[in-house]
Amino acid sequence: MTETNRNRLMLLIALVMAAIYLFPLYWMYITALKSGSEMFATPPTFWPSVPQWSTYAFVWESRGMGRYLWNSLVIASGAVVLITVLGVGCAYVLARYRNGWVDVGLFLILMLQVLPASLMITPIFVGFSQLGMLDYPRLAVIIAIAAKSMPFFVVLVRATFMAVPMELEEAALVDGNSRVGAFFHIVLPLARNGILVSAILIFMQAFGEFVYSKSIIQDIELQPASVGLNSFMGPNTNEWNNIMAYATIYVTPILAIFVLLQRRIVSGLTSGAIK
Amino acid sequence: MADAPSSISSRKGVPAAQAPGNPVRDVRGPIKRLYSSVRDGRGFDIVLVAFPLGFLFLMAGLPLLYNVLMSFQEVDMFSLGTLMRPFVGLKNYRDLFAQPETLPILANTAIFVAGSIAGQFLIGFGLALFFWVNFPGASWLRGLFLVSWVMPGLVVGAIWNWILSGDFGVLNFVLREGGVISGNIFWRSDPNYSLYAVILANIWLGTAFNMILLSVGLSAIPADLYEAAELDGANAWQRFWTITLPMMRSTIGAIIALGLIFTLQQFDLFAAITSGGPNNSSNVTQYWAWEQSFRQYDFAKGATISVLMIIFVMIASVVYVRSTRHEVRG
Repeated sequence: MTETNRNRLMLLIALVMAAIYLFPLYWMYITALKSGSEMFATPPTFWPSVPQWSTYAFVWESRGMGRYLWNSLVIASGAVVLITVLGVGCAYVLARYRNGWVDVGLFLILMLQVLPASLMITPIFVGFSQLGMLDYPRLAVIIAIAAKSMPFFVVLVRATFMAVPMELEEAALVDGNSRVGAFFHIVLPLARNGILVSAILIFMQAFGEFVYSKSIIQDIELQPASVGLNSFMGPNTNEWNNIMAYATIYVTPILAIFVLLQRRIVSGLTSGAIK
Repeated sequence: MADAPSSISSRKGVPAAQAPGNPVRDVRGPIKRLYSSVRDGRGFDIVLVAFPLGFLFLMAGLPLLYNVLMSFQEVDMFSLGTLMRPFVGLKNYRDLFAQPETLPILANTAIFVAGSIAGQFLIGFGLALFFWVNFPGASWLRGLFLVSWVMPGLVVGAIWNWILSGDFGVLNFVLREGGVISGNIFWRSDPNYSLYAVILANIWLGTAFNMILLSVGLSAIPADLYEAAELDGANAWQRFWTITLPMMRSTIGAIIALGLIFTLQQFDLFAAITSGGPNNSSNVTQYWAWEQSFRQYDFAKGATISVLMIIFVMIASVVYVRSTRHEVRG
């Protein structure tokens, strides 16, 4: 078998495997386009006979998705801003020094990264209710998400800073820059891409966050899309085409960002989590 | 004003006239020195690190301690607003283990963790080995698998909820057509299957992440090892057992520990697929703890379960940190 034929065969197998793996995603898009009766047909149809494009508009209106997505956006953006402002400097210092203190700090940060949100929500909720934070539920969720996701961000961004040659910064210091100046004019611009990718990853996580929002935000006006999807799925629901339309509207922007930036996201992710 | 410099340096015990080296420092006031350290010295690093660590301590460290405190207290809706509630010693822990559902839920957690990790790891490793054979488009296609990981957990849960539906689910259809089953399996409502329904969804969710990390480990193995083994006449099977697996040992350890950590964080799939039911048959500790706090409003019990689980998670994370330590240090 020639090299080209082997490559073609491998590509074919890879495509088949990807198709099997991504079938749930396909099923979501297809179900959303089916009519109420076609959805329950036996055997199921794998291509909608008459695509029901109006389902999207119907679900958007009837479930108030604009409001849900806006809340998701507010929460995710707030969390990303808070995490970036606090986390970048921390990652920089942890990348720049190698000593016992840095090891201790890194260890603590890694430990915080592993605490499950569904277990931490009990003390966070009780503590927030004592502080009166529950009157500002979206802010409370932003803070909780920031505490949960910042360790991950710090680990990822630290890997980026480690790739910035320290000589460049030292040269800037010799040229008369202050530490602040060298940090903002030399180091940050060089690490910009890595920070951006990490921030996007955090954004995607926060955009789908569920536990904290579900527990803290009681007011339906302030709930994000994940909580909205959860309340849409009652125990005996049969509106699966509508639910899948909801899921499609919710997830497609995230998937679009991911496919566009796939290569950067994957390499950023692997550099931080494990080497 | 004129004797300000000398007063500072004499406070430090160094006569002004003999101050060696850097006389500039002595002229500045303490505020100014602090400012210049923040702008151009060690203080800059300390400020950068102090705020995030302080924030993390307030928002993650303190809740952790508070959790332990609450697990020794009696907490109800009336005492929610106070810090010093009546202490009950180990009563919460004793009550927890006296409950009939505790042991089955712990067993479910073990099955969920073991099943999810085994599935994610084996499928992920298989895929990683396949994509390791380099062909055009391999890395792009491999990355595409990660969509399962970036999707919100609730959406993944909703999709699988529909796929696993008893009468109209497409999985039952495929299994029927393939001759695997004769009657429909009611994945979500049959207590014998409900836990496995969530495991199935979780394997799908985590496989891609396992594969990507394993791919990174594979690509770090030096190629000349394989060339040498091939010259010595080792076949592919032998090469896998004698080179690939031993070289991947620390990666595999780290990935399994990470898998344990992520599996114990899995909450959204339970909320979206079975809600822990029917009759706790698919309930696991991390969902149960939340249920106790936010469905039964028994915050003390929720805290008690949390404390036990967090200790367990921390042990897992120590394993993870140890197996990646040399990389973490760079």
